[in-house]
Amino acid sequence: MSSGLSRAWREEPSSTLFLLSSVVFFAITTLVGLLVATKFVFPEFMGNISFLTYGRLRPLHINGVLFGWLLAADMGLCFYLVPRLCGNKLWSEKLGIANAILFDLIILGAVFTTTAGITQGMEYAELPFVLDVGVVVAWLMFGANVFGTVATRKHEKMYASTWYIMGAVIWTAFVYLAGNFATIFFSGTNQANLNWFYVHNAVGLIFTPLGVGIAYYFIPKASQSPLYSHRLSMIGFWTIAFIYVWTGAHHMIHGPISQWLQTVSILFSAMLIIPVWTVIVNFFGTVSGKWDKVRQDPILKFLMAGTTFYLLTCFQGPMHSLRTVNAIVSKTDWIVGHAHMAVLGAFSFFAIAGSLFAVPVLAGRQLHSLKLANQAFWLIFTGGIVFFAGLWVGGFMQGLQWNNPAIPFIDTVKFMRPFWIVRLLSGALVYVGIFLIFYNLIRTLTGSAVERAATSPAV
Amino acid sequence: MLKSTERNAGSFFIIATVFFFIGGILTTALPAVIEKSWNKPSAGMKPYTESEARGKAIYVREGCWYCHTQQIRTLEADVKRYGWRGVDAPISTPSEFTRDAPHMFGTKRTGPDLARVGGKYDKSWHKTHFKNPRDLVPGSIMPPFPWILTGNNGQDFEDLVAYIQSMGRTIPWRPNNDYER
Ligand code: HEC
Repeated sequence: MSSGLSRAWREEPSSTLFLLSSVVFFAITTLVGLLVATKFVFPEFMGNISFLTYGRLRPLHINGVLFGWLLAADMGLCFYLVPRLCGNKLWSEKLGIANAILFDLIILGAVFTTTAGITQGMEYAELPFVLDVGVVVAWLMFGANVFGTVATRKHEKMYASTWYIMGAVIWTAFVYLAGNFATIFFSGTNQANLNWFYVHNAVGLIFTPLGVGIAYYFIPKASQSPLYSHRLSMIGFWTIAFIYVWTGAHHMIHGPISQWLQTVSILFSAMLIIPVWTVIVNFFGTVSGKWDKVRQDPILKFLMAGTTFYLLTCFQGPMHSLRTVNAIVSKTDWIVGHAHMAVLGAFSFFAIAGSLFAVPVLAGRQLHSLKLANQAFWLIFTGGIVFFAGLWVGGFMQGLQWNNPAIPFIDTVKFMRPFWIVRLLSGALVYVGIFLIFYNLIRTLTGSAVERAATSPAV
Repeated sequence: MLKSTERNAGSFFIIATVFFFIGGILTTALPAVIEKSWNKPSAGMKPYTESEARGKAIYVREGCWYCHTQQIRTLEADVKRYGWRGVDAPISTPSEFTRDAPHMFGTKRTGPDLARVGGKYDKSWHKTHFKNPRDLVPGSIMPPFPWILTGNNGQDFEDLVAYIQSMGRTIPWRPNNDYER
């Protein structure tokens, strides 16, 4: 009896390896997130063990979900869809396998360094120098494979997903070098400016184009309808390519950084509405008239809910940059809600949808359980909304309280407690959903042939 | 021009890179060149002492900076809240931070801003606080740090306090030099 895994491994090992390891890290690193959320409600929880203290688990959670889960899943999905769009095979499976193994070793190394307190002390750039070098090598390997596949393509014209992925390959290289190597030569405000340039573009020019590129592929596939507008996707791509990179300084509005730079970042943040709008119109235009499909299919649900979260995130972003709004929400838990909507709500939803679609294809069998996938969707979706909204409400009110110096700081901490309890409980719901996704994908790869017959009709 | 990128990966590569570098250079490299104050240390600033530098390394290691910012922003709210006995806290300027690598501006205030905390509390306060913050401030969610108190025979604690007491002190702002030690 050959399992789905052995077929997937035989057919497309690089993609399989990335998708498999990413979902394992997904289940682990979001659990770490849950532990961190627990510490906000019970600050002494695991508090006397140095390597499990808040300041070490937080970077583990963040680097783990960003790189171990999301980036790896995106890479696996790129290896899946770029050859399909180019009408050929992945340029080199050997290189891809080595790529995945190197990347996983880096993540395991990061688990050790973050908990040991070995850190470069900057957001998203915690990994020590050696691991940074590893990431660069892994990325070059990835880029070589993507561009190698594109260069040997059968279809001359390239589809939107291909541009987005190629764009991400190029930008990620520069963004990562800026945030992890260029920063070495600077200090103070200069370094902070580079750091925020990196953080912002890690989301804007790495996870956004990868996520959007993936959605551009799977939304038409899963809804079985052609893309609404190619022209729009082109406008969207080139506006994002030009605009995103200017906005890093909006992380330091009102801070020790020049006013003109703040203003530039605010103006460009506002312009981001353009590329976002093109994506939204395109995605909703593609599925219009197919909403009954969305009702049955968990993959489309994740894709369309992800699109909606993407719109909301990108609406919030420019709002936060406005000086008056920023004076309230900046540095509060509102931002944590916002960040989770972007990374969990939008981009992880796209990656989950892609995995739910691609893993069964690779395994040559149906998804282990459609029902379970639908349940997972509702858990993550409802849990997620409560999670985000709770932090927005609490964070906004906390921000207002901070603006009244007569209120002692500690009172604003106590005020947040109910919201942190809500975050913990809704986070637990999200986690159950994530675990079901993990279980479902693993069973799809490893379950016996008998169960295959028992699953519901084809997607 | 952009139309050609649909078929030509080479021109795609070039345009995508050029677009990136226009915004990238104008927002990171240009300010580094024209904003002299960003790397000009403020008048009273000395390099960190060895002890302060070790203390800062502990601050980095334990992730204090995930919960504490170090920036008095150009907001009435910050200036008043982090002031002392009616004296406003001076707004943070880039010159005060030129010796900081990694920078510690931070991004989230789970706890209060620490930009002007130097001299706010004495050493014994910090000792009790690190052992268990809730002994001093009920309702606090700051984690306990018992291993800092004992690390290196107590030297870790001395170093961290030295760093904390140095914060925001390159500008002498409290009247009558009213700082705790
Ligand atoms: C989980 C978040 C968190 C972490 C991590 C954290 N703190 Fe705090 N800190 C707080 C909170 C909340 C308060 C306010 C209540 C209190 O005083 O305990 C606070 C208060 C403080 C104060 C008093 C500030 C004032 O103006 O009253 C100092 C000093 C301080 N922390 C230093 C540190 C240092 C040093 C570290 C790292 C070893 C650290 N904190 C780690 C949350 C945190």
